[in-house]
Amino acid sequence: MAQTETATQSAEARKTSGDKIDFKMITFSLAGKEYGIDIMSVKEIAKAGRFTYVPNAAPFVRGVYNLRGDIISVIDLRTFFHLPAERKEEDALESLLILRIDEHVFGVIVDGIDKVVAISSAGIQPPHPIFGDINVKFIKGIVENSGKLYIILDAAMIFAPSKAAEEAVHAEKPKVVPPVLVEPAREERAAPLAQAGEDVGASFVRESLAALKGFHITDLNELWFQRRYSEWRVVRKNEVQIREPSDAETFLEDFWSPSSGMLLSPDFADSLERILPGNESKTLNVWNPGCGKGYETWSLAVILRRRYPDSRVKIWANDSDLLAISMAPNMVFPDKVPDYYAEYMTTGRNGQTFIQHIRDSIFFEFHDILNTNSLPPLDIVVCRDLLSLLAPVDQRRLLDDFSDKLKPAGILVLGSNEVPGSGWRSAGSGAVSAFCKE
Amino acid sequence: MRVEYINPFVEAAFNILKEVLASDVHRGELYLKSTATPVMGVAAIVGLAGDVEGRVLFDMDKPTALKIASAMNGEELKSLDELVRATITELANMITAQAVTKLHDLGFKFDLTPPAIFTGENMEIHDSDVEALIVPMETACGKIEINVAIRERA
Repeated sequence: MAQTETATQSAEARKTSGDKIDFKMITFSLAGKEYGIDIMSVKEIAKAGRFTYVPNAAPFVRGVYNLRGDIISVIDLRTFFHLPAERKEEDALESLLILRIDEHVFGVIVDGIDKVVAISSAGIQPPHPIFGDINVKFIKGIVENSGKLYIILDAAMIFAPSKAAEEAVHAEKPKVVPPVLVEPAREERAAPLAQAGEDVGASFVRESLAALKGFHITDLNELWFQRRYSEWRVVRKNEVQIREPSDAETFLEDFWSPSSGMLLSPDFADSLERILPGNESKTLNVWNPGCGKGYETWSLAVILRRRYPDSRVKIWANDSDLLAISMAPNMVFPDKVPDYYAEYMTTGRNGQTFIQHIRDSIFFEFHDILNTNSLPPLDIVVCRDLLSLLAPVDQRRLLDDFSDKLKPAGILVLGSNEVPGSGWRSAGSGAVSAFCKE
Repeated sequence: MRVEYINPFVEAAFNILKEVLASDVHRGELYLKSTATPVMGVAAIVGLAGDVEGRVLFDMDKPTALKIASAMNGEELKSLDELVRATITELANMITAQAVTKLHDLGFKFDLTPPAIFTGENMEIHDSDVEALIVPMETACGKIEINVAIRERA
């Protein structure tokens, strides 16, 4: 009996120690939802109004405010997150959280400030990518307290004048429509649903491609699909349906980018070399997911060597096909290679191989792109024809991943018949389908 | 994980297991995994440092561990005692060391940490942000899963 009691007691003790209160947050509301922010970053709270307007500031900056002699800038968090904000009278007072991030003090306008809530940091759950209203990178986590769910914002991430935050703001910008409207539109884009007014044949073809070849039609390749399908209808007349894998292969024949599975043709390499922007930095980080047997990566290494002779180029090339990627590091070319590459090769016993300098610039990795991709900030991502073979959600997720990892002036190269959608502007020419972040 | 790292580990595991158990060893299909890995019951872990960071985990169930330790010591061992643990730890050390030697010959510089052993039931191992390469090995004593998670130092 006594033993049981001790057991229960110790279990209880463990429970309480697990629930140790070690995180305090100020809770507030934005557009009817509850949020929290680490109390350590909050200097004080205040009611204030009549902010001094600053011309040419970002739309979410309401102005500056004189806080007992210190001039602080005031940011409207609702505008920042594109949430609806009620327009108040000219003289009305706003609820203001005064935050201190490193040396900087900011005023932040919210709908209403609630109270201080003490919780255990062990109870904070990681943010879920589909939170919707607020970009997930600004969210530290979510926590439940007395029946209410609070979204804890990461103050440092929002206000740090770091590049990461700046990029994030840029990425948010195109969404001027309230997010509520954006979300459903996004889903439509992701799902391979038949477009309105499209004939039934086309939607069957979409489904067959996904089922037989794992090829998903989304915004990424919709333009190509429309063109190809109208051609297909002319050629096949009444037999538009795709029943066999061989039909699907024929349908996809002209999708694949030029020079897949071999060294890039000198023409293509040349156009790619020409669109790459100047770069002063000493090192250049490049990611080449889905590199297969590695022909593309080797070509890329030569192109980059020609374009940036003074930079140290590092290419991370990965593929989840073990057999293909195993051969990549020791690739030998028994036959003649185009002159474009010849000067970077040496002749060995079995044929030609790339010179050590080129070899040293590439890391071939056995890696599944759907797992966590841990890479440094990137200058170039080359990912041709891979995304179309992934499920629509994964396509979306990887495009976001590319956007996160690319430096502000970074270049994304997709397959010749792929476009990344909103948030990107074209930077390519001809067969090179390249994009910059907006 | 870099392609160059894969073969040394697979070869070392194959050679050493074949040598110490004096029986046939079959390698299963290699695959990648990034979610939490359940541990079968006995797990020896060796850390790697140097050009890379990561760890190698040798995972097997308790009967397999006992059989391997018995085979390596040339006597029947019945319980998971000090000797069994030391033997499994040594096995982990031998395989990792041979792999690292092979890698060293290829020009990669790795250091090892002393091996540690975990035993128990219902254990899981979580590595954040590193995907693991699983090398399943079928031996006469049972299955050993070699779980290699290595990444380049940023």
